[in-house]
Amino acid sequence: MSRVATMKYLSAFILAACFGLLPLAAQTAHDETQLGVYTSGDYDGIAQTEPRGLRPGAVYSVDAYPLDAPRLAAGDGRELVASYCNTCHSTRYITMQSPLPAATWDAEVNKMVKTFGQPIPPDAVAKIIAYLQSHYTPETRKE
Amino acid sequence: MNDSFSKQPDRSGFSRRSLLKLLGAGSGALALLSEGLRAALPQRPPERLQTFTGPGANPHWNSVGPFFTEPQKDPLILLTDRPVQLETPRHFLGSAFTPNSEFYVRWHLDELPNVVDLSAWRLRIEGNVEKPFSLSMADLMKRFKPVSIAAANQCSGNSRSRFQPRVAGGQWGNGAMGNALWTGVPLKELLDAAGVKSGSVQVQFDGLDQGKGPEGLGSHKFLKSLDLNNPVLAECLVAYTMNGEPLPLLNGFPTRLVVPGYFATYWVKSLAHIRVLDKPDENFWMKTGYRVPDTPRGTTTPEEIKAGTVKTIPVGKMPVRSFLISPDGSTKIPEEMPVTLRGIAFSGFGRVTKVEISTNDKVWREASLGEDYGQYSFRTWDISWTPPRPGRYSILVRATDEKGNIQPDEGVWNPGGYLWNKIEREEFVVGTAT
Repeated sequence: MSRVATMKYLSAFILAACFGLLPLAAQTAHDETQLGVYTSGDYDGIAQTEPRGLRPGAVYSVDAYPLDAPRLAAGDGRELVASYCNTCHSTRYITMQSPLPAATWDAEVNKMVKTFGQPIPPDAVAKIIAYLQSHYTPETRKE
Repeated sequence: MNDSFSKQPDRSGFSRRSLLKLLGAGSGALALLSEGLRAALPQRPPERLQTFTGPGANPHWNSVGPFFTEPQKDPLILLTDRPVQLETPRHFLGSAFTPNSEFYVRWHLDELPNVVDLSAWRLRIEGNVEKPFSLSMADLMKRFKPVSIAAANQCSGNSRSRFQPRVAGGQWGNGAMGNALWTGVPLKELLDAAGVKSGSVQVQFDGLDQGKGPEGLGSHKFLKSLDLNNPVLAECLVAYTMNGEPLPLLNGFPTRLVVPGYFATYWVKSLAHIRVLDKPDENFWMKTGYRVPDTPRGTTTPEEIKAGTVKTIPVGKMPVRSFLISPDGSTKIPEEMPVTLRGIAFSGFGRVTKVEISTNDKVWREASLGEDYGQYSFRTWDISWTPPRPGRYSILVRATDEKGNIQPDEGVWNPGGYLWNKIEREEFVVGTAT
């Protein structure tokens, strides 16, 4: 950018700032467009990862699979869910679902105990079901 | 002042005109923008997609989770992190072959391989056979002539998030599918080499993965079996490459069973045991899981399920499906601009012979089909579409296979969330060009 052009931009910026009129979009000779509109916000990038060092030999491997625990709704029973349900699978299995009817949550938790053999004490089973029904049905789900 | 003067630059380097424009930048000049221009651009970041949908059907093509990067993968859509379930974003599915790094991932149990030592790994052919034996990777590659097949792999629960009422399970959009060129050893050659004993009924497939549940339960092992008299056995491969590369660990390195035309539940990953059975497999994943109503299209109702009157059978071949991949409806199209609609189609019952699209006029028009890589492969299609006038358009796409199966415009419902193959539709907004 030439010195004159730089000066021009700077003065434009200062002038506009003085009048409290910081432009939201650049000015243009073309009325049919808006140019240079940016906004700041809560954008996350997805980090690239370092290439792995490989060694010859018969062993083939990848890095540990990354965990990304979801935020579970605050409420009674959350810790029981976080401990018992997390034994076999992450709690994303809960948050990924569509809001499910209360009876479906009852059946799902009972399936984990009876079909899949997760040893959850009966009082904890009841509390886990109550928690899921309080936060993850069509009527109760908020997040 | 006259016009010629006003166009002269002043000492600061500004023309009078540009200074006026500048001073008016915040209010005056913006007021000059047409209503349409201003409305087009809200001054705030786009809203994030809510990470779940329901209780209505998921309205999006894909599922709605965040992008997430796993080993040997580009960022894919995360369903669950443990065990790993990842969905392929729509725009990677427009080609006949889905790249390995974009290929969807679905594991059932959380102890899936991070490391495989091929000096110790063996594929074991065992059970009710005359001569049980095991093979190293070198044996597989050298002792058998490699065979390749292009075959689509689709999760039984692909598009489960379309179900109404919604059912529990992985809330896949349409991206739990992919197509690859699989290369390996025909299953039949391995079974023949071992000598299947008479009285055998099924062959069971068992991978390296396991879960934390008690032995004997579905939470401990994921096991799948096929009947020995199923003709598909003659087409199955034990694949050691996928699109000409080693399989990503998440897709089943070192070997994966390929069951052409069948849903992916049978395509056991990190395959370690091929086990001939003398009685039917009654493990959870055969007897209880992955079963569909024994009705036309595998559909039923919640009422019939509640009544307990529905007979079920193991899920099998994939019904015919087709997808519009691009454009995806997220961009406005000017009227009378010819655009190319592109997508893929496949069927587990036979080669795709026809793909048709319809627009608002409800007339089905035949698309051109891309190269034929065999009856089990994705088949690409394209068709030029020139939207005649501004407005909203609904584009429908349907495929027909060589057995005459044609996609219907009705969904299905079953408690597992399987077998969805309703005609897909995409909404387009067409603007004016003058």
